[in-house]
Amino acid sequence: MSSDTLTSQGSDERQPDPILEITDTNVTYTDGESYVLEDASVSIHRDEILGIVGESGSGKSMFASAILDAVPDPGVLSGQLIYNRRDGTTVDILGLSDEQLRAFRWEEIAMVFQGAMHSFNPTMKIKTHFTETLQSHDRSVGEGMSFARELLESLYLEPERVLNAYPHELSGGMQQRALIALSMVLNPEVLIMDEPTAALDLLMQRSILSLLNDLQEEYDLTIVFITHDLPLVAGIADRMAIIYAFEFVEIGPRDAIIANAAHPYTRALLQATPNINSPLEAMQSIEGQGPAPANVPSGCRFHPRCPVATDECESVEPTLDAHDANNHRVACHHVERAREELTISTDEEGAFSATERTTQTTTDAESLLELSDLQVHFEASQGVIEQFIGEPDVVKAVDGVSLSIEAQDLVCLLGESGCGKTTLGKAMIGLQEPTGGSITFRGESLDEHDDARAALQIIHQDPSSALNPNRRIVDILSEPLLHTHPNASITERRRRITSLLERIGMTPADAYIERYPHQLSGGEKQRVVLSRALLMDPDAVLADEAISAVDVSLRIEIMDLLLELQEEFETSYLFISHDLSNARYITEHAGGRIAVMYLGEIVEIGSAQRLLTDPRHPYTEVLRWATPDLGLDTDADDEPPVREIDVPDPIDPPTGCRFHTRCPVARETCVETSPELRDCEDGDGAVACFREEPDHQYWESDPLDGASEHPE
Amino acid sequence: MQMSTDTDVNWQSEQTDETIDWRDRLHEGFVLRVYEPALIAWNDRRTQTGLVIVVLYLCMALVDLFGLWRDASTSQAPRMLGAFQNWSYPLGTTQSGVDVLALIIDSTPFILQMVLAGGVWATGVAVIVGTISGYKGGLTDSVITAISDFFMSIPGLPLVIVLGITLEPESPLVLGVILTINYWAGLGRSIRSQVLSIRNESYVEASRAMGTNTVRIIRKDILPNLMPYVLVNFVFAARYTIFAAVALYFLGVLPYTGQNWGITLNYAYNQGALFGLEAIHWLLAPIIAIVGLACGLILLSQGMDRIFNPRVRTRLTGESESVESTPEHTTEIR
Repeated sequence: MSSDTLTSQGSDERQPDPILEITDTNVTYTDGESYVLEDASVSIHRDEILGIVGESGSGKSMFASAILDAVPDPGVLSGQLIYNRRDGTTVDILGLSDEQLRAFRWEEIAMVFQGAMHSFNPTMKIKTHFTETLQSHDRSVGEGMSFARELLESLYLEPERVLNAYPHELSGGMQQRALIALSMVLNPEVLIMDEPTAALDLLMQRSILSLLNDLQEEYDLTIVFITHDLPLVAGIADRMAIIYAFEFVEIGPRDAIIANAAHPYTRALLQATPNINSPLEAMQSIEGQGPAPANVPSGCRFHPRCPVATDECESVEPTLDAHDANNHRVACHHVERAREELTISTDEEGAFSATERTTQTTTDAESLLELSDLQVHFEASQGVIEQFIGEPDVVKAVDGVSLSIEAQDLVCLLGESGCGKTTLGKAMIGLQEPTGGSITFRGESLDEHDDARAALQIIHQDPSSALNPNRRIVDILSEPLLHTHPNASITERRRRITSLLERIGMTPADAYIERYPHQLSGGEKQRVVLSRALLMDPDAVLADEAISAVDVSLRIEIMDLLLELQEEFETSYLFISHDLSNARYITEHAGGRIAVMYLGEIVEIGSAQRLLTDPRHPYTEVLRWATPDLGLDTDADDEPPVREIDVPDPIDPPTGCRFHTRCPVARETCVETSPELRDCEDGDGAVACFREEPDHQYWESDPLDGASEHPE
Repeated sequence: MQMSTDTDVNWQSEQTDETIDWRDRLHEGFVLRVYEPALIAWNDRRTQTGLVIVVLYLCMALVDLFGLWRDASTSQAPRMLGAFQNWSYPLGTTQSGVDVLALIIDSTPFILQMVLAGGVWATGVAVIVGTISGYKGGLTDSVITAISDFFMSIPGLPLVIVLGITLEPESPLVLGVILTINYWAGLGRSIRSQVLSIRNESYVEASRAMGTNTVRIIRKDILPNLMPYVLVNFVFAARYTIFAAVALYFLGVLPYTGQNWGITLNYAYNQGALFGLEAIHWLLAPIIAIVGLACGLILLSQGMDRIFNPRVRTRLTGESESVESTPEHTTEIR
C-alpha cells in the first residue's frame, strides 16, 4: 500500500489515446421505460486492460453487446460510439451498415463469451472453426492458420492436437483457451471478454489471466474484461470500472480503485469479497440486492443499500465526476464520508487474529462418519465386443480416501473440478454406492443404519434445479417435516415453516410460502434449499459448491447463515469448494479442516490457517497461488507454479504420486512410488508428499524435466 | 436425537397465530386444483375453442342418452332428402329413409366411450411403464424395455384386425383397448427418456436424500413435470383410436354393432356417394363429426400444457413476477 506504486504507474502520465469513445449510451427495453444500460460514458484507452466489475443483472453484459451494436431485440441502443483506428481514421459504430458491421466485428473488435462449450459447434473440428472464420472475412487461410498455431502455442496448447479435435474432446479450460485464440485469429485491436473464465477452476482462471497479460503485451491488444469477480480482474487490469444497477458508479486506475476506492458500493464490494488476506471479521456482505430494471430507485441507485446515504442521495442522482487526479471518476455525493467511515482492511498481519470457535479435538468420542480406504470407480460403458477384449476404462473418481467426521464438525473438500470432490461427498452421505472400502455412520455400516438416510442431507450447487419448479415453497418445505414429524398437524407444519423463513430473513413469510421457486431470487432459492436440508434435522449436510451459484455480494451472507444454522441444528458440514478464499472463510469460522483433493486422493488436510500460512503439499501451494487477492503488489505476470496447466486424464492417471506430472518439485522417485498420507510432525493435519520425510530417497533422486533443481 | 432441535430452535412466529382447519385446506385445494387451472385454460383461445367443441359432443351424447332426438330407424323419413331441406331432418336422410342426424347422435356415446378407453389405456400403461423403467433403471429397465421392444415390433394394424375378428368386441371400452393394444410401447419409450433426464435433476436427488419413497417421488417430482407431454399424447392416442375405429369399420373388419360413424360412412360409400352429389350429405356428416372431435381434442391439448407451467399460473393469477426477470442476454457474433 505504499504510495510509490501509484506514482510509478507509467500509463497515467502518458497522454491517453482512446481507442473507443462511448458517450451517453443507453439501452432501453419496453419502449424506453426500463433502462438496462444508462448514460454510459467511458473511453477505453489503446493497449490497456479495462476491468468492468458488476453483480449479475447489473447490465455489464449489455455494455459488451452495446459496444458491438449487438443488443438483442427488442432492446434499443442509442448514444454515440466512436472507434479510432491506429491510422487516425474514426468509425461511428452506430452508423455502420449491417455488412460493414459484420466485417467490423471480429476484425477490429472481437468478443469472447462465457461458456466456451456453447460457442463451438459440436459437430465441427476446432480447425474448421478457424478456417471458416478466416474465409468469411476473406483472409488467407494459410497465413491465418499459421498465426492460429502461434496463438495456440502461446496459450500452452499443442496446436495440432487441438486443431484436429472436436470440441467435446477438450477440457473446459482448453476450450476456453482455443476460443480466445479463435477470437484473436483476425488480429483484432480490441478484445471484449464477457466472464470468459467464470465456468473454470480458479487455477485455470489465474493461468488464463496471466496468459492474457502476455498476449496483450505481445500483440498490442486492448482488452475489456467483464467479470463479477473483483479480485480476479484486479490482478491484470490497468483501469477498472464498477457498474451498479445499469450505471457506471466508479472508474479509475486499478491502484486508485483498490487502495482508495471512493464509491460506497466499491468499498462494500471490496469488503464483501472473501479473500485470503483480510481478517475474517472484516468481511461483510452487502445487505439487499441489486434492483431489477423495472424498479430502479430514485436518486442515487445504491442509496437503499448504502450505509452513508442521506436525504440528498434519495432525491438527487449523482453524476460521474472526477474526484482525484488520474481520471478517477466517482458518482457519489459523499466521497469523503465514504472513505472515512467505510474502512477496508487488507492488513495481512491481522489476517489470522482469532477464530470464533475453537477446533474440536474430541478424539475420544466415536466419530459421526468414518471413511476407510473408500473407493468409487466408474466403468466407462463399452460395446459388446470390447467387453470380451480388454479391460474396461475405469475412472477412479475416489481412490482410497480415509477421513473421519465428528459431530458438529466441518470438513471442506478443496480441489479442481474433476478431482472427485462431489463423488466423495455423495458417497459419504449414501447417495453414491462405493465400489470399495467402507463407510461407518455412528459405528455402524452406512447401509445398515436405520436413521442414516434421514440424517445425511445435501445442499446442491445450483439452487434453481434443486427446487421442483412445480411445487410451492410451502410444499417443498413440508416434505422434510412429513419425514421428521409425521404426526404434526398441518397447522403445526405451517407454523414451523413460517418461523424458519422468518429466521432466515425471508419476510413476510406468509407471502413467501405461497410462491413458486421461479418467483424467488437466487439467494432466496439457496436459503430455501438450505432450510429444506436442515428441516430434516440432519447430523451431516453435504454442501456441494453451495455458494458458487450465488452472487459475490451474497456469498458471505449465505456462509454466515450456514454457520449460524449449524449451531442451532447441531449438524456437521461437508463443504465442497474450488475456491480457497471461500473455504478459508467457512472453515476458520467453524474451526474445521480443509482437505485438499487431487485426482481422487486427499493430498493434504489441516486447518485453514495452517494450509494458508504453511502449505506442505506443492498442490496446496498451487491453489494458494491461484487464489486472487487484493494486494497492490499482486502481479499477474508470474508464471503459474505448475509444469502443466491441464489436469491429466482421470481414466489413465499418472503413476506414483499423481501430481508428479505438474509438480514443480517432482523428482524421479515421484514417478514410481506414491506417497502415503502421513500426519505432520510439527503442525496439525496430514500431508501426502515425500518432501515431509527428511531422509526419504526422494532427496537423492534427480528432478524431472522442467522441475526445479533446488526448491526454495 | 430426533427431537433434540425442538428445544433449541424457537419455532414461535409472530405472524401465524391462526390455525388451519379443513375449511382452509378445502379452499386452498379448490384454488390450486380447480380455480387456477380453469382460469388459465379459459385465458387461452385454443383451449377455449377446444373446450366448446368437446362440450358440444358431450351434449350430443346426453341428447342420445335422454332420448331428446329420435332414434335412427329405417323408413322414418322420406328417402334421400338433402341436407338443410327439411328442418325435421336437418342433415337429410339416407337411401332407406333414416335421419342422418339421428345416426350421428346415436353413435356419439359409443365413440366417446371408445375414445376415452383407448386414450386412458394407451397413456396409462405408457406412463406406468415409462416412469418405472426410467426411474428404476437397471434390470427392471432392461426387462421392461425388452417387452416394449417386442410390442413395438409387432405390426399394429394386422394385430388389431386379427384381434377384432377373433374377439368380436361389442363393448366400446373393450374395442378402445384393442385398437390401442400396442400404442403404449412407443409412447412408454419416449416417456422413459423424459424420466431419465428428470431423474438426474438435483431436486429428485434431494428427495431421495430425504428418504422419500419411490411412489411419492414419481408422483410429486416427476409426473407433474411430465404432465404436458402426457396430456398431449393422451389426445394423440384418442385421435388415433377414432381414426383406427372408423377405418376398420369402413373396411368392415369390425363387427357391426348398432350405429357408428364408420358404418355410416361405409353405407354411404356403398350407395355410391363418392360418385354423385345426391348422397354427399350422407358422406360428409360423419366425416365432419370425426374431424370436429379430433380438432377439438387437439385444441384442448395444446392449451393444456400451460396449466402445468407455474410461470403462466403466477402471471395469470396476478402474483408478483420473478425478481430475476431480466434475462442475461448473450449475442452470437460471427
